[in-house]
Amino acid sequence: MMRRVALVLAVAVPVIFSAVFNCVHAGEIDLLLEKLVDKGVLTPGEAQQIGVETKEQVKAEIAAGKSSSLPAWVQNMKLKGDLRLRYQYKHDKAANNYSKDTQIGRLRMRLGLDTKVNEKIMVGVGIATNSDGDPRSTNMTFGKSGDGYSTKMEIRLDNAYAKYDALPWLTIVGGKMLLKDALWEPTDLVWDTDITPEGGVLQFDKKLNSNTSLFMNTGVLIQTDDTSSDNDPVMMYIIQPGATYKINDSMSLKGAFTANIGSNTKGTAYPTGDWYKSSNTKNGSNWAYDYRTISPALELSLKEPFKAAGLDIENMKLFGEYVKNLAVSSNNSGFSLGFQLGNDKISKFGDWQFRYIYAMLEKDAVLDVTPDSDRYSGKTGMRSHEAALSYGLGKNTFLGLDVYRSWSLIGSRAPETLVQVDWNLKF
Amino acid sequence: MKFVARLAFFGMLILGLTAPCYAEKIVVEGSTTVLPIAQKAAEVFMQKNQGADIAVRGGGSGVGIASIIDGTCDIADASRPIKESELEKAASYGRDIKAHVIAMDGIAVVVNPSNKVSALSKKQVADIYTGKISNWSEVGGDDQKIVVISRDTSSGTFEAFGELVLEKAKVRPDALMQASNQAVASVVARTPGAIGYVGMGFLSGSVKALKIDGVMPSRELVLTGKYSIGRPLFMYTNGSPRGLVKDFLDFVKSSEGQQLVEGEGFIALK
Repeated sequence: MMRRVALVLAVAVPVIFSAVFNCVHAGEIDLLLEKLVDKGVLTPGEAQQIGVETKEQVKAEIAAGKSSSLPAWVQNMKLKGDLRLRYQYKHDKAANNYSKDTQIGRLRMRLGLDTKVNEKIMVGVGIATNSDGDPRSTNMTFGKSGDGYSTKMEIRLDNAYAKYDALPWLTIVGGKMLLKDALWEPTDLVWDTDITPEGGVLQFDKKLNSNTSLFMNTGVLIQTDDTSSDNDPVMMYIIQPGATYKINDSMSLKGAFTANIGSNTKGTAYPTGDWYKSSNTKNGSNWAYDYRTISPALELSLKEPFKAAGLDIENMKLFGEYVKNLAVSSNNSGFSLGFQLGNDKISKFGDWQFRYIYAMLEKDAVLDVTPDSDRYSGKTGMRSHEAALSYGLGKNTFLGLDVYRSWSLIGSRAPETLVQVDWNLKF
Repeated sequence: MKFVARLAFFGMLILGLTAPCYAEKIVVEGSTTVLPIAQKAAEVFMQKNQGADIAVRGGGSGVGIASIIDGTCDIADASRPIKESELEKAASYGRDIKAHVIAMDGIAVVVNPSNKVSALSKKQVADIYTGKISNWSEVGGDDQKIVVISRDTSSGTFEAFGELVLEKAKVRPDALMQASNQAVASVVARTPGAIGYVGMGFLSGSVKALKIDGVMPSRELVLTGKYSIGRPLFMYTNGSPRGLVKDFLDFVKSSEGQQLVEGEGFIALK
């Protein structure tokens, strides 16, 4: 026993030393173990056991921030980002004038880091390209920034938030957070995924058994600040209870019911930035209504759904959501229905994913600053087909083709076709 | 004589008081690859230790690790090392995850003894199993169609082969799926153009094991990491093991436990 303890120490000390000073490499540890095996001090099995267990121990200590002279928050810092290059074609048949079709080049760059302040708290910060503070897009159009002619592009703070794991089943999030931290949605019918909401959210997550988990997101998302004017700030009070249920090894269901109690939009001036695409009912320069919505959503995931038919498709998802604005009596609902086929994640060459969504959103179903910015230019009062294909080119890089065909629900049909060809690179 | 009897009585009493008497139940959960080892070891351990209650269940490595972080199991079985993200989550929950290597998993690629091919690269094996190579002549053999034999998708060996050789790519749909290592060896032994893979413990003279990337599969070369289709198998605990968890782990790592490991077709560390 003593011999084994001594051996573990003999190996562990240099391994931990290497983690601290980076001067002893993993290969050298293996070499040391090999020598001990050659000399008959250790059996190959013992060497394997000691080597692997020691490396695992070092990994665990680094994850817990225990084995370095550097502060834990530096050790735990993670830097990530992505670059997307896009060709975009848009055809607006409303004008019935093909010369007004637009073909543009765009890029999106995002850079984020997150780190742990301590065992319970993490902080995330992200910057991204952005034009005019647009909350729903981080694209920059070539030739458009400044006066054109390759003028420099804008970078803005995209997100900055803290997450506190208060209890195993409760996380508190505050700041300008990622949308997925505020709520879950199977499609971007109501919320564009580029939006980084501002406010505070409580996330409850409780695993009942190996098949069932319950979750609830609830919080306040602040839309405008409180000023000395007569109008109170525009707020959204969100509560989203939901559940995931694993039906069997190849089928699972996730569902949620979201209540978004928006307040004070009625009578408040709508935004005046270039990014704003007005489509809700207005009263002069103000919004005419409040937006208090309910939204049930469901997603069914199936692994290898067509295996019996000999088709090798890894994953299929069927999803849908419905939204209704209870504060308005007409033009107040919307829904989306869709499916996704292919690989769950695009991680290597040949991986693919196809997604189709049909969406309909009446004029006052949701506040017109939140829906997907690409679907009919981000307006409400529309219906739309979207078909998107992603294809893996290799590790961390894939091609995307996204096609929208949309129409207005108000007045003339004014169809719009949008085609986006993307080259995505993650780092 | 009376003195001896009294001495024997007290001796037995002391022995009885110091022998382990378990009143606790532990849950072992996780990898389906490690499951047969855990089940067999638990069965033998419980036979030897009255009162010990060890519930063993599968679910996969990820499920086991999630459970040890959640505190819903005492030992997590895993056929892969714990991920950094899992360790970070564990640290945020105040868990101190300890790894215990309990065995090695090694897989030999086998062909019919009549096959003149005796070595392949790991990439060639992957190409054969994914359908990119379908004739032995493409890898230096006779002009003969390759008959691909695989373990069924629910087996741990299939999972290990998928991760270590195929890098999670799909096995060609016309592969003949077999329910056991013995069945794979048996089909390969009687099919001239066949290729299969079996746990290292199931190699026999009826099939020919291939060199992979120039290395012949052997117990020792898996243990030294020189043979590439091998991996350690883990049991993870929260903190240093104590009580029944410690005794059970000590048993799995003991010579007797390692014999059970060999019996299940894996490579013992001793």
